Amino acid sequence: MKRITAVLVSMILALAGCSGSGREEQGASPAPAFEALNETVDGRPDLYLIVKNLDSSYWKVMIDGARDGGAAFDCNVYCSGTYVETDWEEQRRLLDEAVAAGADAVLLAPDDSVMLSEKIEEVYGKGVPVVLLDTMANTDSYDVCYMTDNLMAGQQAAEEMISQLRKSGVSDSDAIQIGLQLGAAASQTISERLAGFFKYWSKNAPQSWKIIPDIKCNDGYLDKAVECAEEFLEYPDLRGVFGTNNSSTRGFARVVREHARKDIVVVGFDYSEDIAALINDGGYAASTILQRQYYMSYTGVETARKLIDGESVPAKFVDMGVVVVNEETINQAEVQEVLSYSGADGL
Amino acid sequence: MNTGKNFGIPREISKSFSFIRMLVVYLVICGAGVCALLASFDILIRKNNKKLTNDICSLVTEKMNNSIRRMTGSAENMAALLSAQDHYDLGELYEILSRDSVASEYVSIGFVDENDHIYASETELKEFEKWGLLDTAGQADPVSISAPYRSGKTGQTVFTMFVDYVYGGGKKGYLFLTYPLKEIQNMAYTESLTVDTEIWLMEADSDNIIQCAGPNKYSMGIWDNALVTFRKPIGSRYQKEYAAWKDKMNAGVKSAGITYRIGDETYTQVYSKIDFMYGWYVVVRIPGSSLSSAIQQFRISVLVFLGILLIATLIMFIVSHKRQIREKKVLENLSIQDPLTQALNRRAFDFTADQYLGYLGKTLKNEASLLFLDVDYFKQVNDRFGHEAGDRILREFSAALREIFGQEGYISRYGGDEFVVLVRNGDRDTISGQLELLRKKAAEIKPCDDPEAYRDFVLTFSCGGAVFPTDAQDLKSLEAGADSALYLVKENGRDGFGWYEKGK
Repeated sequence: MKRITAVLVSMILALAGCSGSGREEQGASPAPAFEALNETVDGRPDLYLIVKNLDSSYWKVMIDGARDGGAAFDCNVYCSGTYVETDWEEQRRLLDEAVAAGADAVLLAPDDSVMLSEKIEEVYGKGVPVVLLDTMANTDSYDVCYMTDNLMAGQQAAEEMISQLRKSGVSDSDAIQIGLQLGAAASQTISERLAGFFKYWSKNAPQSWKIIPDIKCNDGYLDKAVECAEEFLEYPDLRGVFGTNNSSTRGFARVVREHARKDIVVVGFDYSEDIAALINDGGYAASTILQRQYYMSYTGVETARKLIDGESVPAKFVDMGVVVVNEETINQAEVQEVLSYSGADGL
Repeated sequence: MNTGKNFGIPREISKSFSFIRMLVVYLVICGAGVCALLASFDILIRKNNKKLTNDICSLVTEKMNNSIRRMTGSAENMAALLSAQDHYDLGELYEILSRDSVASEYVSIGFVDENDHIYASETELKEFEKWGLLDTAGQADPVSISAPYRSGKTGQTVFTMFVDYVYGGGKKGYLFLTYPLKEIQNMAYTESLTVDTEIWLMEADSDNIIQCAGPNKYSMGIWDNALVTFRKPIGSRYQKEYAAWKDKMNAGVKSAGITYRIGDETYTQVYSKIDFMYGWYVVVRIPGSSLSSAIQQFRISVLVFLGILLIATLIMFIVSHKRQIREKKVLENLSIQDPLTQALNRRAFDFTADQYLGYLGKTLKNEASLLFLDVDYFKQVNDRFGHEAGDRILREFSAALREIFGQEGYISRYGGDEFVVLVRNGDRDTISGQLELLRKKAAEIKPCDDPEAYRDFVLTFSCGGAVFPTDAQDLKSLEAGADSALYLVKENGRDGFGWYEKGK
């Protein structure tokens, strides 16, 4: 019965198109109705998963994790999400929809940590367990958050950069420069990765290895990321570049490969054809950091089931950790497993 | 009636230009005064802002440092109390304190013994390893504070405070207390400045910052880096000052300030060292506009007042000038016009004609004609129809003269029934044609409205003319020439016209 109600409510709300003017201006498509990820069975808890970008391979992996979690922990999992990762208004609507459909728990990857806080508090206040995935919200009104500790991930990136530079033959006394590029200046995730990088770098990098103060920002656009990367090549002592997100990493990888600059170490985030080409080439020093989004949603479903069953969780924040992919680690079982879940095995 | 513009009327007759010049001078002086006032206001605001923002930044940093000192003082007291109790079993003490309600004031509480064994929950143990908290504990003298990190237990950003502690008969360990970063944020909260004041904790080595207060309450506790938040937006103009400010922090100078601009806004930014949080500083930034709003309001009020004053003065000027023009015109009219016919009186005519002929004499480009006109048998009109009819004849004859010669000459009533006209034209044929027209118009002038009474009345006039400079080169000679021509016309029976001819 709940399932029918959910579908009906989804259809009515989708047809009503109750969306805000702000998101219309962005040209964002409305979120689709919730769709069951696995075979629905009466009597099982209904979990509602809301992701940030239904078209992205990253989020498709997260949906896979939730599907498998639903099968493993005996839950019906319904999924929807937005097509633009800033479309928080549509996510707010989806939260209302999930509650109206009688959700036993909600798994949410918030498009906006700030703007959705009030709605998350409202849902949590109605007694619906809330499990956050990938991104924290600026409220205490949730049960648990499974995500990457980006401050720590940034530190790991800096550690990898120092390690790769040394392997490339750069000595501690060499006066070299490192270029940094951001995907978006106002993103909490990216800011924390950057802060983590600086934190580790300031304590562990030799004094003569300097970060170029002009930190460039590509606003998430690959074309701009390539332009920024080209500008960094003008620095004569450039020996390392760090991309804080997918677009930055792709921009750096593409430009370094185009110019055959094998003397430049590339460290970045996420797996793409561009960074894979460098890692697999063998002549370049390149590394990328992968998140464990599959496990975020899989564990999220498991925890949601426990919460529904009345169990408590020991921690509200769980760092799912990352894996560093480079020429040496790429064949390790753990890395291969994450790569296979990331849909990157075909690259 | 001719205004005299085309004839180079002397400035004594028209003074309007001097008024405009005076007005321009007045406006320029007023404008310069207002600019000087605004400039002095801006200097005052800048000085005031710089001093006040520096003072407020220093006060806020001091307030935060005092609050952190109170927290550390409280932790030191607890450590001193536990030291005095000289516990031998830290495991048991940890269990008691973890269960005790006191523990709920913190995110967590625990111990590190002399062998670096940590008495904490599983989650906290992972955090000790993850964030190198044992290194921070080693810095305690008697207190040390860790860098902020995200707590697994609460999901919040927290920091851990370590205090020297003695147990088991003189063994040295550390008591640790983990607080939410919100505690510091609450300390930073200053109601009157909440909207504008931004406060961060900043690590000198890494340039990392974490926001404690700002316009957006949800941005609190979020990490960033000073190169992105401070250095990049301030642009190249203040890079040197910023680098000097940062160098002071790197060198361990306790406090320093900087003033810079981003767009139209001037910011003052001050840092101050945080006791026991080694390598960390509190940074406070305030936009100048937040403090200068009151003085800006006053500045606007003064400008409005000055504007109103200026407009009122201008209106008074213009009204006064117009009134002056009106009065002057009345006086001028009284002094230059014949009140009956509105023609120039003799004095005004002589003055104006003399000026014009002088101007013409210098340019030697044009000719002019002087005409003397007498209404024929005017005395008989007076006698037959009365003085009122005589006045009517003179008014209408003067009007006819104005109609025909008004656009190109000066018309004057010389006295009684005598008129004189100075025409800007030396072409005798043209003037003869105009006089013929005048003759027709004069014939239409009637002394009264009763056709029976004036049935046989026809007004005629006699006229003599002389041409400048052909017949004479000055007004007197010209008048004499025209007068003699008139005399001849009269001699010949009136109702006619003749030009001066030498020798006649």
